Amino acid sequence: MPRWIRCAALVALALAAPPLRAADAETTRALATIKGVTKEGKGNEDAGPAWKVLVGKGGPALFPALEAFDEGNATASNWLRAAVDAIAEGEAAAKRPLPGDKLEAFVKDTKFAPTARRVAYELLVAQDESAKDRLLPGFLNDKSPDLRRDAIARELDIVEKLARPTIKADLEKLFAHTRDKDQVDLLAKKLEANGGKASVSEHFGFVTALSLVGPFDAPDGKGYLTPHPPETAKDATGVFTGKENTVLKWGAHTTADKYGSFDLNMLLGKHKNAVAYAMAVVVAEKDTPVDVRVTSITSVKVYLNGKELAGRDEYHHGAAFDALVGKGTLKKGENVIVVKVCQNDQKEQWAQNWFFQVRVCDDTGGPLPLKQKAGDKLQALGYVAETESKKGDTK
Amino acid sequence: MNRYTLAAALVLTLAVSVPAADWAQFKGPNASGVSPEKNLPTEWGKDKGVAWKAKLPARGVSSPVVFGDRVYVTCSGGVRDDKLHVVCFEATTGKQLWHRQLKATGSTAAHPKSCMAASTPVADETGVYALFNTGDLAAFDADGTLRWYRSLVGDYPTITNQVGMASSPILVKDRLIVPMDNAGESFVAAVDTKYGKNVWKVERPREINWVTPLVRTVGSATEILFDGPSGLTAYDATSGEKRWASKLTKGSIPTGTLDGDTLFMPTGGVTAFKLGAKGVEGDPVMKAKDVVPGMPSPLVYLGRVYAVTGTGVVSCADAKTGKLLYKESLKGAFSASPVAGDGKVYFLNEKGTCSVIDGKAAEFDVIATNELGEETLGTPAIAGGRIFIRSDKDKMLYAIGK
Repeated sequence: MPRWIRCAALVALALAAPPLRAADAETTRALATIKGVTKEGKGNEDAGPAWKVLVGKGGPALFPALEAFDEGNATASNWLRAAVDAIAEGEAAAKRPLPGDKLEAFVKDTKFAPTARRVAYELLVAQDESAKDRLLPGFLNDKSPDLRRDAIARELDIVEKLARPTIKADLEKLFAHTRDKDQVDLLAKKLEANGGKASVSEHFGFVTALSLVGPFDAPDGKGYLTPHPPETAKDATGVFTGKENTVLKWGAHTTADKYGSFDLNMLLGKHKNAVAYAMAVVVAEKDTPVDVRVTSITSVKVYLNGKELAGRDEYHHGAAFDALVGKGTLKKGENVIVVKVCQNDQKEQWAQNWFFQVRVCDDTGGPLPLKQKAGDKLQALGYVAETESKKGDTK
Repeated sequence: MNRYTLAAALVLTLAVSVPAADWAQFKGPNASGVSPEKNLPTEWGKDKGVAWKAKLPARGVSSPVVFGDRVYVTCSGGVRDDKLHVVCFEATTGKQLWHRQLKATGSTAAHPKSCMAASTPVADETGVYALFNTGDLAAFDADGTLRWYRSLVGDYPTITNQVGMASSPILVKDRLIVPMDNAGESFVAAVDTKYGKNVWKVERPREINWVTPLVRTVGSATEILFDGPSGLTAYDATSGEKRWASKLTKGSIPTGTLDGDTLFMPTGGVTAFKLGAKGVEGDPVMKAKDVVPGMPSPLVYLGRVYAVTGTGVVSCADAKTGKLLYKESLKGAFSASPVAGDGKVYFLNEKGTCSVIDGKAAEFDVIATNELGEETLGTPAIAGGRIFIRSDKDKMLYAIGK
């Protein structure tokens, strides 16, 4: 279809569809009040009465409340989340079904907050199970992680049942869209079982080639708060003084681990009260907003082009995937990402691990067309040479 | 309505609304685990002796709490464990009265055995206060009206504990005491129950801690006793000012219990300290080194101190002398703390098997073994002549009794 016809059709559709709901002045005021809540309960004294006004409006306030969700104000969105429940509960008690067509239109409309769309989807499905089959096929690449996940799971089920000759291509499509680690692993496995290839590390955008330097001294387990020169390094050329006055230089390392893990005990040796730095050079073809996501079992900070993006000061409590998310923008060309990884002096056997993973992705956790520098070579983020991937280790 | 009818209605209302003992917080009255009620159930099964059962929307390891005719339960679910639920049931009938959801604003990382609904909510006559491991904190009126909500991670972004948290909030008059010991910004705060704002907030060591605070009245003062890895601290409930501290006990998982002015703490087995106006007085008054609590908190009941380890070793000692009365094994692993009432001690294991021990007998006397056949990690609640047990992944709430 030519582009102008598509545009005209979209405009016509937009004009034909009435607004979901025009809020009355009282509702508008109540919503504004709720959205005015900030930190430490500021605004709660007004938000409470406003919540009652909103819920008291019943069904007519449902869509204004959903429309008011704001991913940038999670506190206000939770006030609204509870209001939507109360409104829906009131409608159910009055035996008034929620307007399915309007809920469906809301769920489809990506200008609304993904969280609100998911809530609307759940309300809709609760009263019309068949909505799943109508809606989910359109959500394979949705901003809502839950809608996306459900859409992929449903499609995978269909693809496997049909077992069409195109199954490899079908699975490749799903693999490209999937974001959750368990679903990525599942699809990679199924794709490979059907003769396809799936690079989990490239899909996640893991840095698999970088330079390391360490250990630096971090007395009393205070490495997180103690700065060392590599934090602001622009390249991997410096010479530093490390623990016990050792001379430290950057060394190049790669990993073949499909989750991009670098084991510092193996690469730098076992150290206590220590800090190590990793430097990756990531190349973007244009200015690109990114998430820099780090997984580590110890305290960790991440810097982009000399600026601290994010940090978490916690030792040996677990290594939740993507536990640290820093948001930044890569500039066109080369960008320096530095990860500071700390180790404390806990003696327990389970507290000896020292490793990290870092990936660069979009805000859904999906891959971006970025390259990493490995010596003089430019390669895709997550690149693992085929021979190395079979070994699955770091060096 | 004439005067006579009005009076009769009033009498009837009072008769109906006079509550049996409430079980308003983690381990009931001041975290003692003891109910003053009589005629509590002894025998039950999945389809026997159950007054009602209700489906829960998601899993949870927190305890149900009961106030008046309301039972409140928190749950968490979703593939990211980021859907947080507060559900209210009518205690007499099991009818679901309302269900509210929140989306987690903090990290949902936790040990797989736990989840975001691990802290037990606390209730009063006005409603319920729910704290989730994600730092999401909400107050709901008894009718489900959201009174206020806060994202503690939004307020204090360094809050983190990838093992998962479980300290429970408590109420002191019109203040909600919020324990928040973790690897990031740690504190205990008093939040006003009307609007959810800080009345006071006191910095704590950055240590993970699952202990729930206790409350003690000393003369005209009310103290919050909060044990943790760096020791026990008593805070003034009005100002948050530190009144005294002791290094004699250093808790991290089980919660101690206060019996009059004697504080029984899970340290060196179970050790009891006499508390005076200025804190711990002298040496321990009782040491029961063989009464070893695991994750479950110890229990003091009818002059005895009880504990159960994670592997089901039940020990019981004289609460005055510390003399071991018995040490026996029950089947299964244990996470729930023992609770007691009506002369019975209830030990609930992780497979839904509740062993009822005669709390008056001098020897280990199992008077009933009751199977629910579901995973149970949360501590039961006792109220209204019933025992309320919530299962975890099977997502059920049982009201055991008539």
